[in-house]
Amino acid sequence: MDFLAEGFRRALALLLSGDAEVFGIALLTLKIAVIATIVACGIGLPLGYFLATRRFWGRRAALTAVNTALAFPTVVVGLLLYGLLSRRGPLGGLGWLYTWQAIVVGDVVLALPIAAALSAAAVQGVDPRVRRTAETLGAGRWLTAWTVAREARFALAAVITAAFGQVVAEIGAAMMLGGNIRGSTRTLTTAVALYSSQGDFGLAVALGLLLIVIALAVNVTLQVLQGKGSG
Amino acid sequence: MVELRGVRHRYDGRLVLDLDHFAVPAGAMVAVVGHNGAGKSTLLRLLSLLEVPTEGAVLWDGVPVPRRAPTALRRRVTLVEQRPVLLRGSVRDNLGFGLRLRGLERTVVKRAVETVAEQFGLTALLERRRHELSDGDVQRVAVARALAVRPDVLLLDEPTSSADRAASGALYRALADQQATQTERPIAICIASHQLEDAYRWADDIRALAEGRLSPVTPENLFRVELPAGTGETKHARVGTIDIAVTTDRTGPVVLAVPPTDIFVSREPLSSSARNVLAGRVTRIAAHRAGGGSGVAVTADVGVELVAVVTAEAARELALAPDVAVVFSFKASAVRVF
Repeated sequence: MDFLAEGFRRALALLLSGDAEVFGIALLTLKIAVIATIVACGIGLPLGYFLATRRFWGRRAALTAVNTALAFPTVVVGLLLYGLLSRRGPLGGLGWLYTWQAIVVGDVVLALPIAAALSAAAVQGVDPRVRRTAETLGAGRWLTAWTVAREARFALAAVITAAFGQVVAEIGAAMMLGGNIRGSTRTLTTAVALYSSQGDFGLAVALGLLLIVIALAVNVTLQVLQGKGSG
Repeated sequence: MVELRGVRHRYDGRLVLDLDHFAVPAGAMVAVVGHNGAGKSTLLRLLSLLEVPTEGAVLWDGVPVPRRAPTALRRRVTLVEQRPVLLRGSVRDNLGFGLRLRGLERTVVKRAVETVAEQFGLTALLERRRHELSDGDVQRVAVARALAVRPDVLLLDEPTSSADRAASGALYRALADQQATQTERPIAICIASHQLEDAYRWADDIRALAEGRLSPVTPENLFRVELPAGTGETKHARVGTIDIAVTTDRTGPVVLAVPPTDIFVSREPLSSSARNVLAGRVTRIAAHRAGGGSGVAVTADVGVELVAVVTAEAARELALAPDVAVVFSFKASAVRVF
């Protein structure tokens, strides 16, 4: 147990000293997570609303597909995207493999089903009279969707939190697509894996703590925003 | 204004509405009465353009409405559902919702909201939120919210189901006032209700729905019965404690309708060819405005509740009043079978 206590002491010292490398890794992780969450929710939330409110042929199959995608192993997604983004792959021309953009792509693919499936469930939970009320008072498609989203704001905030949680803690795709390159694609999760395998528990624990602090800060921010918008 | 033509509407293959023609003319107050499940709410949803009929057409000013009704057209009709919901925010936010999304200026919205709030006695509730309101308040806010956008057609589904008599009267008075004042663009109001007294008192046209079809009579004179098998011309159906004679070939489960204007009202039994002679006491007398006439609707308990419509002159001559003994007579052939 000594190594854990030592790890915590080292973590505290690193965090308080403002270690440039540690904070660099944290900032990159935050940047990737925020961008991936925005892209995944930007596509997933409207998709979820569409799946929840429109009746079309194949809707049930689409919902099943989205729900199944929730359970995709991250390393499998990483592997598939690796094939697509590698030099000989169809998207190789982008030159994104082993860049932070590749990690964003992997995270978006993993967070998208979460955003779509959970937001579909959130919208289905809204009283259908809300939608009809907005429509009969003259709202068009977008304003109706906005009115429904306002009613489901707590559930949708939880969807965004869940999507962020997925991307910020993701390691499989980040490792395969980013390559864990120091100063370039090393994220908190890949760094924790690396330093713990190297026996540098202090640094690994410090980075792990930072990861928890980031997740906590995002959750608190979302809760504060929800509180302001309640009523 | 708005009309349905040749409409057959189905839910999961089950026919719920079957109307050759149903129109709500400009400036009219139409009441649609009927049992639960008669198709009233479905009818209002079709008229509100929120739902598209399975077969047939919805016409607006004589022009067929496309399947996806344009927003500009949808904004000319508003529906208040039977159990309406208030949207997030205060009563003020709700009353201004439709006006804001029409892009009106804040000052215009504020003025319109305050006017409609005053009209419906909601001024004191303007800053309240939905959880601070009673069901009756929610219903009044929903009606006021729908009226605030000054639609050409206002559709109300059981608008007074959560209101007491005084509140119900106030609501109808506010609607009548709105109709009286909005003269440049007369508003048509269509109300689905099972409260016949309100329908008789306020509507100038009453239509009854039974099993998704327009019926010539009010729902109080509609009875679900089992007609016995047999080849005789006249059959007797048991309704409560009485038998109703009916001329029909039909057997099995049917709905009988006794047209109120086909009932003869007398103080003593008449010697006549009528096969149905039912004695009882008057329970209610109400003015009958439907069809633009000035008749009197006489409700009597003759073993079951029946409504007869007579002229005001006949009501006076017979000295009809609550608790007076009366006899209702009607021919077996006058009874309609659905």
